[in-house]
Amino acid sequence: MNEKKSFKAWIQSGKVNRKLCIIVFMLVPVALLLIFTYIPFFKMIGFSFYDMKYIGDREFVGLQNYVEVFTRKDCFQALKLSLYYIVASFIQLALALYFASILSFKVKGGGVFKGLMFFPYLVCGIAVGFIFKFFYTRGFVLDTVLQWCGFNLENLPYWLKDTSINNISVAATSIWRYMGQGMVMFIGAIMSVDASLYEAGDIDGANSFQKFFYIILPNIKTIIVLNMILSITGSLSVFEPPYVITGGDFGTGTYFVIMNKLAHESQKVGLASAMAVVLLGLIMIATLIQKGVEKYYFGVGDQESIREVRKRKKRQELEAKGGAR
Amino acid sequence: MKKSTLKRVFAATVSAAMVMSLAACGGSKKAVEKQEIDLTIDQIKLGEDYTDIEADLKFLTHKTDVIDTTFSEYITEFQKLYPNVNIEYEGITDYANDITTRLTTGDWGDICMVPMTVDKDELENYFTKLGDKAALAGTYEENMLNNYAYQDNVYGIPSMANVQGIVYNKKVFEDAGVTELPKTPDDFLDALQAIKDKTDAIPLYTNFAAGWTMTAWDANIDGGATGDPDFANTGLTKGENPFADRGDGTGPYAVYNTLYEAVKRGLTEEDPTTTDWEGSKGMLNAGEIGCMVLGSWSIVQMQQAGDNGDDIGFMAFPITVDGQQYAAAGPDYNYGINCNSSSDNQIAAMCYIKWLVEESGFAQGEGGLSVVSTDEYPEALTALEGIELVVNNPAASGEENLFNDVNNDSELGINVSGAVPTQVVEEAVSGSKTMEDMAAEWNEKWTAAQESNGVEY
Repeated sequence: MNEKKSFKAWIQSGKVNRKLCIIVFMLVPVALLLIFTYIPFFKMIGFSFYDMKYIGDREFVGLQNYVEVFTRKDCFQALKLSLYYIVASFIQLALALYFASILSFKVKGGGVFKGLMFFPYLVCGIAVGFIFKFFYTRGFVLDTVLQWCGFNLENLPYWLKDTSINNISVAATSIWRYMGQGMVMFIGAIMSVDASLYEAGDIDGANSFQKFFYIILPNIKTIIVLNMILSITGSLSVFEPPYVITGGDFGTGTYFVIMNKLAHESQKVGLASAMAVVLLGLIMIATLIQKGVEKYYFGVGDQESIREVRKRKKRQELEAKGGAR
Repeated sequence: MKKSTLKRVFAATVSAAMVMSLAACGGSKKAVEKQEIDLTIDQIKLGEDYTDIEADLKFLTHKTDVIDTTFSEYITEFQKLYPNVNIEYEGITDYANDITTRLTTGDWGDICMVPMTVDKDELENYFTKLGDKAALAGTYEENMLNNYAYQDNVYGIPSMANVQGIVYNKKVFEDAGVTELPKTPDDFLDALQAIKDKTDAIPLYTNFAAGWTMTAWDANIDGGATGDPDFANTGLTKGENPFADRGDGTGPYAVYNTLYEAVKRGLTEEDPTTTDWEGSKGMLNAGEIGCMVLGSWSIVQMQQAGDNGDDIGFMAFPITVDGQQYAAAGPDYNYGINCNSSSDNQIAAMCYIKWLVEESGFAQGEGGLSVVSTDEYPEALTALEGIELVVNNPAASGEENLFNDVNNDSELGINVSGAVPTQVVEEAVSGSKTMEDMAAEWNEKWTAAQESNGVEY
């Protein structure tokens, strides 16, 4: 009885209780993270050193898979396609920012528009692919709409077959899908801007453009940069649109689509794993470069940018010299 | 107070359960052990042996469309003989890809259709031996058992066998004035041209977007294009530059060149990237499509896709070797049994497979050939009279995996991904590479893969 009480007391004591809480609450997310992210990830790194198929013996080959990734023509050729998606993601961010700055003020039917524009993000990527497959089919939705506008069917290109345009067609679907998500994030950021700044702006006679450039933009730059990083890393690893819409044929095979083909059709699991690890490295490098650029030009959060600090120092030095003279 | 204690107890229980289940995850891999059974499929007498066996079987299938209809009838029929065997079908849409991953877990079910990706020397680690080849040859066509046999042990029985060729709409061909079935690639292209000129139908529909449909072209390159049952081994796997132009309108080059020319001359659909497989069946049936290159399994589906089932016909691939036309015949997916299942399940599964192959009439219903030696040709294939069926001979012992290895290493994906015909269509559309360029490229890849696998000419 006495012992039980002491155990109860022990477990209820602040220190133990707090630790227990932390552990118990962390257990589920950490377990999920380990099972579904880290264990498969480290397994994959392991696979990348083997010559292996899904079924059968595996043979340790060291770095040979990595050498092959860098010497193959198609792997890095495919990364060029990411440029289409990077451009698309910038267009998408610009549109999102535009709609966000309109919709974050009082607009008639603002809620409806927000909902409509966010909706595509809720549709699963595979479904989006099928939607656009029919959208781009000869004589279907897009062609019909363009014909209403006076275009002649014979002058229209084959949206998915024509290699000069099919990557743009496919990349456009990701604008449609992700624009709403970016917009919602921007609206959230704009809402958090101190309302007294707008009032101050009004008093000083600032128009809407000036308010946007001098009040909104500086206040949400962190979220803009974050979105840019997300969309560039996303552009490097595009998979669903080309896989579902064109199957990666006619020159639309992105890095991921080629990886998938190697792993599933040619059973080169080791090589595909190495490709994945290389892409991970590339994404990390891209993120680091962006972070550096951001720090230098814009500053993180409340921190001033390195460029500003240096400029000021220089000015101060000059002034100090001038003063000495 | 009490409430918070309860909460704590609950949290502790949940976390304990999590840890336990994690531990269980780690341990379960070893729990799956290969179960040896001492029975072969030829020893079973259906309806007499093991009629009181109890088992719950799980059957993975690629035929997602007939699970609730044909297959549930099969189960009812089978249970008249074996009342205590329950069978549950699970359909997998992307079968060829998914099944390989699921097989590696060892715990996928009891019966599946054996995928191409399992190498022959690996078969025994995943599937139950169904019998010796010599013993089974009495009941089944011996040549049809080769695909999943290793050192005379058979691990898979074909659900049916297919003839490769072209499914076509007779009425469209008649309307175009094509009275005699084409026998050479040039005749065939002329016939397509006539269809284009004289009818509104799309002469040849590639079904490019579906992807897997393109492998039907691959299936014609060995026996059908050469008439040689050994070509797959000596000509393709071990031959020097198998994709080169043989100059006489035969061989792999002739097959792919037919596709290349058809696309280049505008005899196929306008936009290959937006073809629709399900829709194509109805279009062929209604006479909006002239023909499609597919195996004989497709005939029944085409007939049932509309009101004009009688118009659907089947012809061999238009290649003639020394005056004789051939058609490649070979097994479709094979039934295989999980060797990790309990021995009762394995025995019940064996009974069910035997019943499916010999009694169910599945092959005939699907328009395929039955692999049972005594069964006759289905009606749809009667048009193939005068055409010799070629079944590939098995690879020499010790070289059972060679084709798979060379195929994988070369990344050409013959019969697997349709990468070669896909490239043919792409280049015929864009016109950046000629057929010779591509053939040279394939030969180069193939030769490099042959070298790395120790093939000498």
